[in-house]
Formats: sequence, C-alpha cells, structure tokens
Amino acid sequence: MRVFIDLMWYFREEKWRYGGGVLVLALVSMLSLLPPYVIGVIVDHIVNDTLTLAILFRWMSVLFALAVTVYILRYLWRIFIFGAAIRLARQLRNKLYEHFSKMSSAFFQRRRTGDLMAHATNDIRAIEMTAGAGILTLVDSITLGGFVVLTMALTISWKLTIIALLPMPLMAYATSKYGSMLHQRFGKAQEAFSSLNDKVQESMSGIRVTKTFGYEAEEVASFKQESDDVVEKNIQVAKVDALFDPTISLIVGCCFFLSIVFGARYVVAEELTIGQLTSFTVYLGLLIWPMLAFGWLFNIVERGRASYDRVTRLLKAKQDIVDKPDAVAEPPKGELDFQIDSFSYQDGEELVLRDIYFTLPLGATLGIAGRTGSGKTTLIKTLMRDFEITNGRVLLEGRPLDDYSVEALRSSFGYVPQDHFLFSATIADNIAFAKPEADYKEIIAAAKLAAIHEDIVRFEDGYETVVGERGVTLSGGQKQRISIARALLADPEMLILDDSLSAVDAKTEEQILESLRTIRKGKTTLITAHRLSAMKHADLIIVLDHGEIIERGTHDSLMALNGWYQRVYDHQQLESLVEKGGEPS
Amino acid sequence: MIERHKQLLVPLPQGTVFKRLLTYAKPHWKWLIVAFLLLVGGAGAEILGPILIKIFIDDFLTPRTFDGQLLTLLGAGYLLLYISAAVMNYAQLLLFQKIALRIIQQLRIDVFARVERLGLSFFDQFPTGGLVSRITNDTEQVKELYVSVMAVFVQNIVFLIGVFVAMFFLNVQLALFCLVILPLILLIMQLYRHFSSKYYAEMSEKLSQLNARLNESIQGMAIVQIFRQERRMSREFQKTNQEHFNANFKSIKLDGLLLRPAVDFLAIVALMIVLSYFGITSFNSPVEIGVLYAFVSYLDRFFEPVNQMMQRLSIFQQAMVSAGRVFRLMDHDEIAPQKQGNSSPVIGNGEIEFRDVTFSYDGKTPVLKNISFHVREGETLALVGHTGSGKSSIINLLMRFYSIKQGKILIDGTPLEEFADRELRSKLGLVLQDPFLYVGDIEHNIRLYDTSIMEEEVKEAAKFVHAHPFIERLPDGYKSRVGERGTTFSGGQRQLLSFARTMAKKPKILVLDEATASVDTETETVIQSALEKMRRGRTTIAIAHRLSTIKDADQILVLHQGEIVERGTHDELLEKQGLYHKMYLLQQGAEWLEEMVSD
Repeated sequence: MRVFIDLMWYFREEKWRYGGGVLVLALVSMLSLLPPYVIGVIVDHIVNDTLTLAILFRWMSVLFALAVTVYILRYLWRIFIFGAAIRLARQLRNKLYEHFSKMSSAFFQRRRTGDLMAHATNDIRAIEMTAGAGILTLVDSITLGGFVVLTMALTISWKLTIIALLPMPLMAYATSKYGSMLHQRFGKAQEAFSSLNDKVQESMSGIRVTKTFGYEAEEVASFKQESDDVVEKNIQVAKVDALFDPTISLIVGCCFFLSIVFGARYVVAEELTIGQLTSFTVYLGLLIWPMLAFGWLFNIVERGRASYDRVTRLLKAKQDIVDKPDAVAEPPKGELDFQIDSFSYQDGEELVLRDIYFTLPLGATLGIAGRTGSGKTTLIKTLMRDFEITNGRVLLEGRPLDDYSVEALRSSFGYVPQDHFLFSATIADNIAFAKPEADYKEIIAAAKLAAIHEDIVRFEDGYETVVGERGVTLSGGQKQRISIARALLADPEMLILDDSLSAVDAKTEEQILESLRTIRKGKTTLITAHRLSAMKHADLIIVLDHGEIIERGTHDSLMALNGWYQRVYDHQQLESLVEKGGEPS
Repeated sequence: MIERHKQLLVPLPQGTVFKRLLTYAKPHWKWLIVAFLLLVGGAGAEILGPILIKIFIDDFLTPRTFDGQLLTLLGAGYLLLYISAAVMNYAQLLLFQKIALRIIQQLRIDVFARVERLGLSFFDQFPTGGLVSRITNDTEQVKELYVSVMAVFVQNIVFLIGVFVAMFFLNVQLALFCLVILPLILLIMQLYRHFSSKYYAEMSEKLSQLNARLNESIQGMAIVQIFRQERRMSREFQKTNQEHFNANFKSIKLDGLLLRPAVDFLAIVALMIVLSYFGITSFNSPVEIGVLYAFVSYLDRFFEPVNQMMQRLSIFQQAMVSAGRVFRLMDHDEIAPQKQGNSSPVIGNGEIEFRDVTFSYDGKTPVLKNISFHVREGETLALVGHTGSGKSSIINLLMRFYSIKQGKILIDGTPLEEFADRELRSKLGLVLQDPFLYVGDIEHNIRLYDTSIMEEEVKEAAKFVHAHPFIERLPDGYKSRVGERGTTFSGGQRQLLSFARTMAKKPKILVLDEATASVDTETETVIQSALEKMRRGRTTIAIAHRLSTIKDADQILVLHQGEIVERGTHDELLEKQGLYHKMYLLQQGAEWLEEMVSD
C-alpha cells in the first residue's frame, strides 16, 4: 500500500478528480444498497397483503430513478478516476522523455534500449493500473463492503450478520494462500515461455546449420519437447487458478446456508420477517465482489510499487554535463587548438588518447587516420564535450571548451556519425532535421551537394518518401549521404565526417569531396576515414595509433615519408582496382 | 521485402480465422464434451441452490411446518449440491485450460514445423524478429482466446441458459418477460463490439506510434542532441502522447457508456419487471414468496455472466488478429526444394559437375551466368572472387538450398534433384562462414541431433580438427556449457567446433565457406592444418579468402559478377597476370594490412 503514499503528490495535484471520483464511488456503493431494501419492503407488503398499486408505483419510480442516477454516476467516476490515471501515465511518459533528452551518450551506453523502453511501457502501465483500478478497488471494496455489512447489521440483524460472515476469514486465508502459490507457479511458467522464445530465436538464427545437416524434423521434435514443458508449467498454474472460483462459490454457499438456517430460527422466533431474510441474502450476494476485489488489490499494488520504484530511480539519474554559471552563449568559430596530455574513459583505465598537440586554423580541413580503436572517434567526441577531458584541454577560438554553453558549442557543429541514423519520417524531414523551417530549395541544394538528389528523385514519392522502419529500405550508402545532407543543410561552423563515406563508391566520394571543397571554404571541416582517399586534400592529416599521433603532414608529405600512411594508401589503391575487376577505370 | 512476402502482412478475414480455430479444437472433442458436461453439471448444481431455498421458504418456513428429517435431508442436499458444484467446476475449469494449452501447443508446433520447411530463400529475406514474434507472442495471444474467452463464453452461456430454464420452470410468464432483456443485451454487445473494434484499433495504433517514437529517440538521441532538436522532438513526442491519451480517453468513455454501467442499468430494470409482476399478481391471487426470492437471486446470477462476457470482447478482438497473423505464416508457400523422381540414388564417389548453370534470386538480375565446371573424386576446386561475385550462390545451389531453372548440377552423374534430402545432407558436409553454436554443451554442438555418433566419435572428430586440446583444457571438457551463440569462445575456437561438427558426419563431399573473420596467428595455423587434413581424400569445393591456402587446389575458378573470368591452377593463373594475380598481390599484403587497419 506504500505506493499510494508515493503517489500522494499526484493525488494532491488531481485532488478534484480523485476527490470527486471517490465521493461518487462511495455514493454508488451506498445507492446499490437500495434495491435489496426495496425488495424487502415489497415482499413484506405482499406477505402482509398491504400492497397497493400506488405503493408499487412509487417504489418502482424510485428504482427507475435510481437506475438512471447510478448509470450516470458510474460513468462519471470512471471518467474521473480512470481519466486521472491515464493523465498520470501521460505525464510520466513526458517526464521520462524529457529526462532522456538531457542524458549524455554515456547514459545510453550503460542502459539498453529494451530496458529503457520497458520503463516507459510496462512500468508506466503498472503505475497507471495502481492509480486507476487500484484506487477503484480500494475505495470500492472498503465502502461497498463496509456499507453492506453495516446495513445488514443495523437494519436487519447484527447477530445474523456475524453468523453469516463466519466463513469469510476462511475465504481470505484460502485466497491469499492460492495467491502466493499462483505467484510462484506463474513465475515458472513465464520462465518456460521465455526459454521457448529463446529456442525459437536460436532456431531461426541457426536455420542455415539446420538446413545444412538436414535436421528440420529433429528441430521440430526438440521444439515440441520445449513446448511440452510450457504446457506442463502452465497446467500447474491452471491447477491453482481453477481453485479460486469454486472455493469462493463454496464458501459463499456456506454463508447462505448459515444465514438461512439461523435466519429461519429468527423468523420463527419472530425476530425477523421473511422479507428481511430475503433482503439479507441479497445483501450477502453483494459482498462477493468486495471480497474478490481485495485479493486483486494486493496484486495490483505490489506490481505498481515495484514499477514506480524503477521509474523513480531512472528519473533520479544525474545529468553528466552541465553549463558553467558564466558560460559563453556565443557559438564559437572553427579555430582549433588541441592540448591533450592524456585521456581515459575512467580513472586508472587504459589511456585512449595521449600527447595530442596540434592546431588547426579557421577554414582548414583536418584528416584523422588510423586503425580501428586508435582513438579517432574519441578525439572527435572530446571536441563535442561528450565527456570531459581530465588532463589537458581543447581550445576553440582561444577559449577552453567548457567556457561555452553546451547549446552554443553544439550549434557550431554539424556531425555525421559512423552509424548513420535516420528517423522514421520523409527524406525531406530528415534532411531538414536541424532546420525544420528550411524550404524545398535549401533541402534540394543540400541533397545535391551530398550527391543523393539523383537517388531521391528516382523514388516514387521523391523527397516525400518515408524512410526508416515503416518506410522504404535504403542502402547504407544512401543513408550515409542523407546524413551528410542533413549536416550540410545546417551549414555549421565545423563539419565533422566520422567515417561517413565508407559505404559510397569511389566516384561518388570524389564528387562529395569536390562539393565540400567549394562550400566549406572559410569553414573548418574534420574528416576521419578508413579509406584514405577521403582525406587526400586535407590541409593537415594526423595518423593515430594507440591514441598517439605517429605521423602528421599533408598527403604529399606523408606519401614521401614511406610510413603507415603510404603503405595503407597504396594497398587501398590496389584493392579498388580488384573491386573493379582488374581493369583500371 | 519482396512481393511474395507482402501478403504475409495482409490480415485474414475473421470468419476464416474463426473456422480454422475451431478445427484446432476438433481433436479434443471427447474431452471437450466431458468438460462441457461437467460445466453443465456445476452450473446446474449452483442453479439448483436457490430452488432448494425456495422450497424451504415456501413449504417449511411460511407455513411453519418443520419436519426434522426432511429438513436435515434438505440441508444436507444443499451442502452436497454446493460441494459437488465446487468439485465439478474445478474439474471443468482445469480441463478447459488443459485443452486450451494443448490446442495452442499444436498450433505452435504446426507453425514452427511449417517455418522449418520453408526454403532458405524465405529466411534470406524475412526478418527473424518478426518470425519469432509470430511463433511465440501471437500464439500466446491466441491462447487468451481459448483460456479466457472461450471458456468464459461457454461457461457463461451455459449459465445463462440454465438460469432461463430455471426461471421457466418456476414461472413461465415471468420468464418470458425477463427474456425481453436478452435482445437488449445483445444490442449493447453489438454496439460495443462495433465501436470498440474501432477505438481499440486506434488506441493500439497510437500506442505503437508512441513506442516507435520513443524507441527511435533513444537510439538517435545523439543526433537529436548534436543538432539541438531536443525541444522540438520533445514537443512532437508530447503530441503523440496526447493523441494516445485522447484515444485512450475515448475508449474509457465507451467502456463507461456500454459496459458495466449499462448492464447494471438493465439489471435494475429487470428487477423492476419482476417486482411489478409479483406486486400486480398479488392483488388477485396469493404469491409464493419463495418464487420471488428465487427470481431475484437468479437475476443477480444472470447479470454477472453478462458482465464477464462483455469484459472479454476486446481480448477476443485482439486474439482474432493474432490468429490471422499465425495462419498467414502457416499458409506461406515457399517450401525448400524437394526430391524429385522415385529412384533413390546414393552418393558414392563424390564427383560434381555444373553444366551451364544460370541463376537468379529474384528472377530478374542473374547472379550466376553460364557456370560450368567438373570436379573429379577427391579433387579440390577453389572459388575466388570479390564479394558479390557469385561464390556463395554456387554453394547455395550445390547444397540445394535454392532450385535451379537453367542448366544442370550432377553428383556422380545423377541430377541433384533426384537425391533424397537425407542422403544429400549426410554426404555433403558444408562448413559455414559463420560458425553458429547452440546453447548446450560442447558434445551437443559437435553431435547435434545425430544420436548414432558415439562419444568416442565426437572426440575423434575434435581431435581430427585439432579442437581436442582446447576442449580438454576447459573445466568440464566435452560437457562444458556453451552460452548463447557461443560468445564465450573465440572466433577461432568456434570455427574449430564447427569443423568438428562437420567431420563427425564423415561427409563424402566437403563444401567450405571460409570465414573472413580474422583470428590470431596461432589459431590460424591450427585452422589451416585442420582444413588441409579435412580435404584429404574428399571432393572439396572451397570458397577461399586467403589465396595462400589454395595454392595446391586442382582447379581455381575466378569469378567476377557471376561469370567465370579465369580458371586454372595457381601457377597458371599467376602467369596470366590477370585478376587473380592482382588479388594475390593484394593478399600478400593482407596480413600486414589487417595489422594496420584493425585491432
């Protein structure tokens, strides 16, 4: 029940909805006691032969008015309470989203997407249940149960009430016992289902092996075995599950039996009328639902609490990078000065960068080469303040990075990442991502610069073609070029291409580089690449190895050096020759 | 996605789905009848209860005549009735669940078996994630249909009929009055079904949009941040969130208008009918209070099942959609190539011939053009070429993963189509590029499903490919656990295990799709020596990336864009100074390059 206290802030925020809902709910509970009372009155009138058409009509009118009122009230509390619950879900989802958008990449590396999604889906659903059905069940079972028992005791007979309710503790005991049994068995059944899921996953991934050895039939047999286990575990669940209803019916039957047996004695002793006895049993029937509800309530609340704790913990995660109080809001221009002594992701861990000293004048192009894991991407990420440099600093226009606000700093960069990511939207929307107000002219110009315009107009819907999971599938090269167009449209002070020409062919690469040279005049461009031809024209090329600069210079000076750069470059030339089938083009 | 897979996404008509779901229940008809009888018995016993109380009130309590023996009998009868109702209901509930679970199991096995029989052409195109979800999650949804919808509907309909029978038994005229309620309920149900199918579809569509947006934002947050679009994305998310809220709110309103509140309204109207009837009757003739009591308590019991059924209508809708998806997959007709003809040829020598084979995956762009070659018993043929040159397609055809339309493939002079699957799979040993390991132990991964391979043979195979030493060094040797996809083993170790798996079957023909993954030099040497041993005395077709390893091949085919551009032995090809020569030069620097470019 602690979750209700945790959620108190929300109940306060929505005090009118919840207050109104609870009030209406209590009213409905109270009103639902009226029909049994009317039955009792009519029965007694019939027995005593005092019923007249007027009396009958009056009571029937009361019942009809009641029916209409209760219908409206029941509708109202649903709107109040369930409406408030889904408002909470909406609010929490927005909060989580805002929170995610403040987190740095380190946060997203630590957490898996599936896990973060689970918070925003399953957990929020459980909390919504608690704030809706949970509140309903709590209020309903307490008010209805309480009113019914009170009415029975006060208006009919408290003695008979106690007698009739004697078997109830037995029911409470039985259902809670079943509940814990069910919980355990259900867990096992879920495990069996997961392992069936894994089996199918494995079978589908390993289908080539199965086909190679011709083991299809054996695979099916083994699947059948797994599914037998699922059935077995679920039957165990069913065995407990099927106990609930019969047990409750049986105990309710006992309650009825007791109230009739003892009620009859009271009737004979003239302590009770037959009409009262009839009403009494109808009241008894009204108690079945609150009894069931209470067991259900525990189930909802337990889950809600676990989920609310998870969501709160996630929301408490701190923002990694914050602005200095007197941060410069003016976006810096691309004049770079790297003075990094050393850098490692965590203290005591292996150094990823060391002794990186170089300057890049405004408007120059920098090429960063080196094998996988040599520190190319890390070097670039330090520039964007994805993580703080501990030993050393990077100056932009003569100021250290952290003198600028994150907002200002980011507005100076256009980044084309290695793993090109496009959103499920139209191609035009994707290109205009950084500048949603851009018109078609600008979008097409950017696409032409990135050498993707020809591809786009060939699609049936042109620039309005939807890409991503729900749209057409693009090739890796096409995605890369759209990412480039996206960054070019923003016309940033500094453009960073992080191995983003890997999936385009040599001719297209040359075309893109050529257009970059014209439009990037006077602005800084940074290029990392495996294929060295991408940085051939750079003003400065540095070669990294194990986080250190091992060679530096221009293409010509590096080729003359006969070092790493020259050997890899020559090799790649030969490779592209083979790709073309041996004929130099 | 190619054209023929698109129909997998088209929903199946509900009528068809329902009929097919019923056929799945057919094999269980005997037990279903038993469960049904128990259900009728249980419901009957519960319905009889109020009648006994009615007898008590009318025949004993009202006239105040208490016969001890008869009363005891009545009381005992009442209790017995409730106990037997409990027992029968328990048995019935359990039985229905068991049948439902068995039906779902059968459905799962059927769809899984169907998928296993599909050709590789299907798996090469259709995303695995979608398949897994159809086989497990969708069938789980269908389970809800049998467990919570079917049982509840059957049970409650029986209950409703029972209540009406009892009412007719008590008072025909009044029962007829109450029957008026029934069409009203059906009308409400129909209305609810009509609107809810629309509203729920909208809601689940909005929810999936919401989740897609969230998922995408989480994955692309770096991009969102670097282009400073957090606020815009957040606004857009809030908009979708609001749309979902609106759809959700609409369905809450619908539930409020048509579910329990509406049914409870009808319940009071029904009560009014009963009370008015008895009241008006009492003006002219005496009324049996017991009958009134019974009617009132039946009304209570009548409306609960109605509520139960209404609550489950939306689950019913969802389950039907899922079942449609499962049946679509089950109907998919893209079966792997099958044996043709009645003869049962056996692979003896392992001679392979390709005769003018032209092949295309999509029927438009050919990936192989006029491929002809002949490999004699025990010889090695090497295929080299750039990615996409057609090497893997040759292997796909030889393994009969795809069927050919032009040209001929012969093994020992017999067309490939005429071999039985068993024969082909046991005599052709394919070593895959990606050595896939299964969860289980090492021994299982070498033997797989072939129980005729003894423990000794498993070891022999491992020794043969030099995998034995590293297996021995593991804490549990051959019984060591292999985790998901074998990630605890190095790439080289995984390759050796996959070699052992192939060698344990002692194939006549060896087909090697050499791995491109780089392994450390030491393992590389072991792998090379294992490969050499494996090839000895076997007809071998090898895709080689390391040209140095195929120097001793009897024939080398150089492929470029689906055509054989050069053929000959290593020395002959080098002499030609063609594509092979360039590749060789490239390879010479490869070791060095690997060191330079990757870590």
